[in-house]
Amino acid sequence: MIITFRAKLAFSSFLLLFTAMAFAQTPKLLEEKELEVVNFKSIKKVLQQDGLSQSAKEKKKQVAVMKTEQLSIEKDRFNYPSEDELWGFVSEFWLVKNAQLLGWDFEKPDYGLESSFSSTLQSLGFYQKKFKILLVNTPTMVRASLPGSEGEMILLLSVPFIRSLDLSKLEISLLLLEDYFRLEGGYFKKAVSTDKLKKLAGTSFHGSKPDLSLVEELMKNYDFQVNQKGFSFQQQFETTKKMDSYLKSNPELWNAYFRLLGKLQSFLNVNVQYKNYLKLYPSPEMQIKWISPEEKIL
Amino acid sequence: MLLIMLLSSILSFAESTSTDEKVVGVFYMTPLFGHVHQSSVRTSASLTTIQCAHPVKVIESSKVSISKEWVYVEVADYRGFVLKQYLSETKPECLQGKYPKFFDALNMDLSELYYWGRLYDHYIQGETRVQ
Repeated sequence: MIITFRAKLAFSSFLLLFTAMAFAQTPKLLEEKELEVVNFKSIKKVLQQDGLSQSAKEKKKQVAVMKTEQLSIEKDRFNYPSEDELWGFVSEFWLVKNAQLLGWDFEKPDYGLESSFSSTLQSLGFYQKKFKILLVNTPTMVRASLPGSEGEMILLLSVPFIRSLDLSKLEISLLLLEDYFRLEGGYFKKAVSTDKLKKLAGTSFHGSKPDLSLVEELMKNYDFQVNQKGFSFQQQFETTKKMDSYLKSNPELWNAYFRLLGKLQSFLNVNVQYKNYLKLYPSPEMQIKWISPEEKIL
Repeated sequence: MLLIMLLSSILSFAESTSTDEKVVGVFYMTPLFGHVHQSSVRTSASLTTIQCAHPVKVIESSKVSISKEWVYVEVADYRGFVLKQYLSETKPECLQGKYPKFFDALNMDLSELYYWGRLYDHYIQGETRVQ
């Protein structure tokens, strides 16, 4: 009995010893091994030799660049349009807002203005000029030239005015040319531009609401310029002199312009309906004087 | 006999409709807004208003004869006419797409979108070139 007990004790102590020894010799855990594998430090030299650490760095850089780009794209979504884009946009928005007042949504005859105005501009050497002509059906707004985007011009002309004066294609083209020169002179932009436009155009409103008073203020200024303010004598003088110098090379056009001014003068003097025109575009009478050839005294 | 005649007439009809129409391609609207018109006249009624970069399927059909200025198109459930000059083969960069948050904030109503499309129907557009 005692012998059996001793044998059992010896066996169990042997087992215990064996287990303890085995435990002491157990290598690193699987997780530890895995950690060692992903621990770049331990294989740094190998990675450096293979150029893998360099590519990992590059990848990190690429990710950083992509993230910045993504952020900037997201930020750009909150941008105000550039100043040039805003001019074209606001001009058209103003036309849309005033669609009923200006009455441009109506059926009208084809006056062949595209070809006649193009050829007038081309005959004077104006190339690569983009234009949009919009005929309006109101006698209250006779004419205007609005800035478009990318140097484009938007020219407005009243059909009742064309009819009342019985204007020919050439005469209409000359009126449009005057308006083109006014736009080129920058009078309109100067008159309606605001500090807000200069300050906000092309900037970002990321993190806040857009300041729409930028558009509202411009639209109000458009109203005032087109319907009430018009152009000064000085601006009219500069425009008329420009017309004179460009048309002088083409006597046919110059004579047509001179006759047109006479036609305007006599028509506007007697027609009360268009009395506002003289306030906005002073004045055909003066224009005739400015370009009339000096009388030679023999 | 009657059945054969009926079948052949159906087949010939199917053949004629399939050869009548041809999809020229998908084009994109270039102005800010534009209309799909009921007829090929600038002042004709609008079937629907579409905005810049909207894809438009141009169809050639022997049943529809139009001037060179217009194309016959399919947009969603509508079939109508669009001015050729306002379509582009490539997707244009539009103000709405470039400045979406600014554009959304304007909160334009339907009548404004309609008139904006009409504006492009009424413009007489031109560009001077070196002869």
